[in-house]
Amino acid sequence: MIWPAFQSEWVKMRRRRLWYGSYGAVTGVVLMTTIVTIAGALHHPGAHGALTLAQLARASGLSQGLTQSGVLLGAVSFAIAASQFGGEFSHGTLRNLLVRQPRRSMLMTGKCLAVLTFLVGAVAVATIFGICAAFLMAHFRDVPTAAWTSGAGMGDLGVLLGDLVISTCGFAIIGMIAGVLFRSSVIAIAAGLAVLLPFETILTDAVPGTGRWLPAQLLEAIAQGGSTTAPFAPALITVSAYLAGAVAVAMLIFARRDVTA
Amino acid sequence: MSAAALATDSVAQSSGREPESYAVVTRGLTKRFGKRLAVDHLDLLIPARSITGFVGPNGAGKTTTIRMLLGLIRPTEGTGTVLGHPLGRARTYLSRVGALIEGPTFYPALSGRENLMVLARLGGLSKKRVDTVLQRVGLAARGSDPFRTYSLGMRQRLGIAAALLPAPDLLVLDEPTNGLDPHGIAEIRSMLRSFADDGMTVFVSSHLLAEIQQICEHLVVIEAGRLLFQGGVDDLLAARAPELIVRTENPADARRLLVLVKATGLSAAVVGERESTTLEISADCSWAADLNRLAMANGIALVHLSERRSTLEEAFFDITRADTGERFPGGPGYLSGRAGSSDRAGRPSGAEVLP
Repeated sequence: MIWPAFQSEWVKMRRRRLWYGSYGAVTGVVLMTTIVTIAGALHHPGAHGALTLAQLARASGLSQGLTQSGVLLGAVSFAIAASQFGGEFSHGTLRNLLVRQPRRSMLMTGKCLAVLTFLVGAVAVATIFGICAAFLMAHFRDVPTAAWTSGAGMGDLGVLLGDLVISTCGFAIIGMIAGVLFRSSVIAIAAGLAVLLPFETILTDAVPGTGRWLPAQLLEAIAQGGSTTAPFAPALITVSAYLAGAVAVAMLIFARRDVTA
Repeated sequence: MSAAALATDSVAQSSGREPESYAVVTRGLTKRFGKRLAVDHLDLLIPARSITGFVGPNGAGKTTTIRMLLGLIRPTEGTGTVLGHPLGRARTYLSRVGALIEGPTFYPALSGRENLMVLARLGGLSKKRVDTVLQRVGLAARGSDPFRTYSLGMRQRLGIAAALLPAPDLLVLDEPTNGLDPHGIAEIRSMLRSFADDGMTVFVSSHLLAEIQQICEHLVVIEAGRLLFQGGVDDLLAARAPELIVRTENPADARRLLVLVKATGLSAAVVGERESTTLEISADCSWAADLNRLAMANGIALVHLSERRSTLEEAFFDITRADTGERFPGGPGYLSGRAGSSDRAGRPSGAEVLP
C-alpha cells in the first residue's frame, strides 16, 4: 500500500524543472559554504574561532565546508517538502489522490518516503560537488589534501554525510508536517522558515540554554556532529521524540480531517 | 450484513426495487460544518446502470454530498451504501469508483499522461490503462503536452479520463460541463451516454438543466441540503401538466374561446398583452381535436394550435418554489417515481410518498 504511493509521488518528482531547481539549490548551498569556508580560512589562528589552513589540512578538513551547510540545506529541504505536501491542498489535487488511495496514512507515508529519498539524493549529489569544490579550493589555497583521502578522512566524510542526511530528513519531515497542517505551501514555507530560522535564533540568543530544546537548533547541531550546547546523541534523541510526536499528530489530523480543498 | 447496509436496504426496498439495483443508497445523510447544515438528512437512491442527474442551486450541498460518497468528508450522521459497501468504508468500494470533483485539478507542469500516471500508480493501474483512457476521451494526441497548456474543454476531458482510470462501475462527475462551449458540452453529453451504454452508473451534477434533461433518466433535486425530488425525469415532467397553445384571428375570438374552454372544466388563460390572441389551456394534445371542433362550431378560426411540454427548468423552479411555500406533489417526502403518467392531481403514477 505504501509502495504505490511512493511510486506515484516519484512520477510527480521526476519532472526536470523540479530536479534542476531542488538539486541546484541544495548543490548551490553546499558549494557556497564549501567555497566560503576554505576561502575564508586564515593562515594563523584568529578571533571567533575561524578555521585555519592548518586545520583544513587535517583529515576532517574535507568535510569542514559541508558541516557549515547544515542549516541552509535544512531550510531548502523544509521548503521542498512543505511545497510537495502543501501544494496538494492548494492545487486541489489531494482529492484526486484520496479517491485512488483512501488509506490516508499509507498515502502520507508513501509520499513522505518519496520526498525523503529525493532529498537524500540531492544531498548525495551536492556532497559530490562539494568535495570537488573543496579540492579545487584547496589547490588555490595551497592546502595539502593527502589527509583528506586517508581512511580517517573518508571516515569523517561518511559520518558527516550521515549527519547531514539525518538533519536534512528532519527538516523535511517538519516541512511535510507544516504542509499538512497549514494546507498551503506558501503559508507553510513562510511560517515554518520564520519560526525555524529567525525566531529560533533570536530566542536562542535571548534565552541561554534554549538551543538544547528548539528543533532547528538541534537539527543544525546534528548536521555538525553535535555542538557544545547540544551534543549529538541528546540532540538526536530529543529531535526524534519531537518528530515522532509531530508525525503522529499530523497523521491523525490528515486521516480525520475533511478534505474540502 | 452491517447495520448501515440493513438500514439502507430498507430504504431501497421501500422504493419497490431490489437493493442491488441501486448503486448508491443513503439514509439520513447529514453534514454539518459548525452551525451550518450543508446536507440535511438526505435519502438518496441512485439506480444502477443509468445516468442520474444531481441538480440544485449553488450551495445546495451537491458537492458536499458527493464528497461524502467518496469518503473525503465524514458525514455528521446517517448511513449509506455505495456499490453495496458501507459509506464509512470508502476503501472497499473506491477502486470501482471514478470521480471528477469540482472541476479538473491536476499538476500544471506535468503532461496529461503524467498526471494520469500519478493516479494510475497510486491505484495500482497499468500504463496501458492510461493510454486507453486518453484515447477514449480523445486526448491521445495531446497527452504529452503540459496540463497548463490545455484548453478548458481538454481539462474537463482529462478529468473524465482520470475518473475512467479504474474502469469504474460508478462514475461521479461534479459539473463536468462547467465553462464549456456548446460543442464541448455536446462532446461530454455523448461521452456520458456511451458510458451508460457500457453499463456504468453515471451520477452527474450540473447547473445546466437542459443538459440534464437530455441525458439523464433519473434526477435528484436538492436545495439547502434537503431532498426536494428524486425519480424519473419523465415523472417529474409529467407531474407538470402540458399545455395547448392556441392563437385566434382576433382578440375578441380569444376571449370567446376562453369562456367556452372554461365551461368544459379546463383551466385556461389569455396570455400576453391586453389585445392578445393567444390562449394557454391546461390540456394535452389528446384534447386538441375537441378544441378545434369547439372553436369551429362557434365560428372561431384558429390560426395556431400546438402542445407545449414543460421543461426541466420549469419543473425545477416549480419544485424549488414549492419548497419555500406551496408544496409540490413530488416535493419533500417524495421518495421515488417510476415511469408512468401522472394522475389528475399531477402526481406521477407509481410514485411513493413517505408518511
